[in-house]
Amino acid sequence: MEAPQQTRHTVRIVICPNCSLTLRGAALFFGGLCLFCLTVAGLLALRGMWPILPFSGLEMLLVGWALHASLARRYRAEVITLTESDVSVESRDRAHCLRTVFPRHWAQVKLRRPASPLHPSRLTIESHGRQCELGSFLTEEERYGLAIRLQRLVGRINESPSLALGPK
Amino acid sequence: MAEPHAETTAHAEHEHMPHGWRRWVFATNHKDIGTMYLVASCVMFFIGGAAAMVIRAQLFQPGGKLVDPGVFNSLITLHGLIMIFGAIMPAWVGLANWMIPLQIGAPDMALPRLNNLSFWILPFAFSLLIATLFVPGSAPAGGWTMYPPLVLQFGDSFPMLIFAIHLMGISSILGAINVIVTIMNLRAPGMTLLRMPLFVWTWLITAFLLIAVMPVLAGAVTMLLTDHFFGTSFFNAAGGGDPVMFQHIFWFFGHPEVYIMILPAFGVISEIIPTFSRKPLFGYEAMVYATASIAFLSFIVWAHHMFTVGLPVSAQLFFMFSTMLIAVPTGVKVFNWAATMWKGSLTFEPPMLFAVAFLFLFSIGGFSGLMLALVPADYQYHGTYFVVAHFHYVLVSGAAFAIMGAVYYWLPKWSGRMYDMTLAKWHFWLSAIFVNVLFFPQHFLGLAGMPRRIPDYAVQFTDWNMVSSIGGFAFGLSQLLLPYVVWKCVRSGKRVEANKTWDGAHGLEWELPSPAPFHSWTVPPSEALIARGAEH
Repeated sequence: MEAPQQTRHTVRIVICPNCSLTLRGAALFFGGLCLFCLTVAGLLALRGMWPILPFSGLEMLLVGWALHASLARRYRAEVITLTESDVSVESRDRAHCLRTVFPRHWAQVKLRRPASPLHPSRLTIESHGRQCELGSFLTEEERYGLAIRLQRLVGRINESPSLALGPK
Repeated sequence: MAEPHAETTAHAEHEHMPHGWRRWVFATNHKDIGTMYLVASCVMFFIGGAAAMVIRAQLFQPGGKLVDPGVFNSLITLHGLIMIFGAIMPAWVGLANWMIPLQIGAPDMALPRLNNLSFWILPFAFSLLIATLFVPGSAPAGGWTMYPPLVLQFGDSFPMLIFAIHLMGISSILGAINVIVTIMNLRAPGMTLLRMPLFVWTWLITAFLLIAVMPVLAGAVTMLLTDHFFGTSFFNAAGGGDPVMFQHIFWFFGHPEVYIMILPAFGVISEIIPTFSRKPLFGYEAMVYATASIAFLSFIVWAHHMFTVGLPVSAQLFFMFSTMLIAVPTGVKVFNWAATMWKGSLTFEPPMLFAVAFLFLFSIGGFSGLMLALVPADYQYHGTYFVVAHFHYVLVSGAAFAIMGAVYYWLPKWSGRMYDMTLAKWHFWLSAIFVNVLFFPQHFLGLAGMPRRIPDYAVQFTDWNMVSSIGGFAFGLSQLLLPYVVWKCVRSGKRVEANKTWDGAHGLEWELPSPAPFHSWTVPPSEALIARGAEH
């Protein structure tokens, strides 16, 4: 989760899911694997055993696709922007971007405890019967921390600006 | 500031678990797919075992007439292929499916649909392979190594064999890709590489080996196919090809394949021994580096399988010394396991019994491997029952015992129930005794000169063959206990209340309830949990 970028009137929080593999790490791993496998296949091809080469090539394509597909979650992000009048949530993945705007005066931040201990809690911003879930990919501790921060920033319903922030 | 847990959600709390046949056919849950792999592996273990029973019955005494020599050779071939590709490898993939996400704090495998596909290819592959018994011109009978020109002499079964091998290879590659991507990208925050359990580490290296060598096998069998049907001469000396080249290519795949079957066993043993010694694993990092070293060395030792084909002396020396070098990282592992047990508070529940047996019996297989690595000695041992004894010590009392130990170790976590300890111990003791009765005499037979892959033998080999066959029947029968113990446990075992079934266990899987919920780690574990689990 990125630190909030705060100006006098605007606060911006960006949260994104955990990926243990960096793009650079993936590139290095994939490059190393290709180098090894295609070198072996190439050397065997030089000895006349060329049918191994297309199998190696196909396999590397498959590994590349699998890494690409798995790394797609890296592009997922939620951007929460608080202005004096609005709270907006932008949910992004590689291809789409969905923006939901709530009036800050009426917006509520709710963290719902799960009925079963095996299930995650759910953090939402709600207003006028609409709701938007936030941080479903965060750990419980991170979601709890985000909830406290948002409740401070957004304030209670019918409380604008948030009293918790004190006078400007 | 108000407590943020303001409300309790009213949304339906259920496991979103599909039911009926769809649950299994369209399975994407790693636990379901792991279970299917393990069940399939058990079925194949008994089919391959049935072939072994016929083989041992035929060899009970000289002049055996139970099956004709052609069928005998087919059974030898199918036994090897089924046990390697159908029993051992799928069992490891099943364990990987079950345990890797639980151990790294991931909600599932990275590519669940691919996971489903890689399992469901297997039944078709093995149906095709077993169907070769019923086609004109006999089933493949050239041994699992499929050396040309012998393998090219079989009729309709030959293309079926090649297609089955391709399917098994595709399944293995898909499984390996899934394991690699899962471990690389789905580790929970804080689960650094050097905090991963050894089982995950050994599987990561195994998956790399699979990806590196499977195209070589695919290319090799495709060249056999084109030699047979399309007039190429890759391995046909009359057309300018080289049949020995097939052996080089095959063993470039085949030797890493041996480590593909044994490295995850090292991982399992590294989980079990610290648990029942109630001590952290001795030399965690050394174990990781030793595993990587073994994997590296596996690529430069292949020709020790073919010392007798007429290699140059320099090549023989290189492959002899590189093979002997493997004893160093393997020794590191064995001594580290022993050091872990040293002054530990040991108890001997079934998983630990299998782990200790693994330690002794795998070492016997390792030592006979060292003997086979010596070029002058290998000229004596090559193609004899000594080799059969060696690799069965490695693969049965090594890999298969580790799989059984793993099942007894994690079964309470999977099922939420405890199995019948007495029956499990009976299973262990019968297995440990009779595996030695079965395979140890084969060392003597090999040293006395009995060739492998023959349906009949000279009378001087009778006594030890009888002993070996009796051991084989008893070992085979005792294995029926394993599915019975599992079935009884799942049906009516005593419920396990604690998350930690074994008091000395460490790792994220033991932080989950028993049985592990259908969806686990939907929320990544905290760093504190990870740190507690990683107390190596």
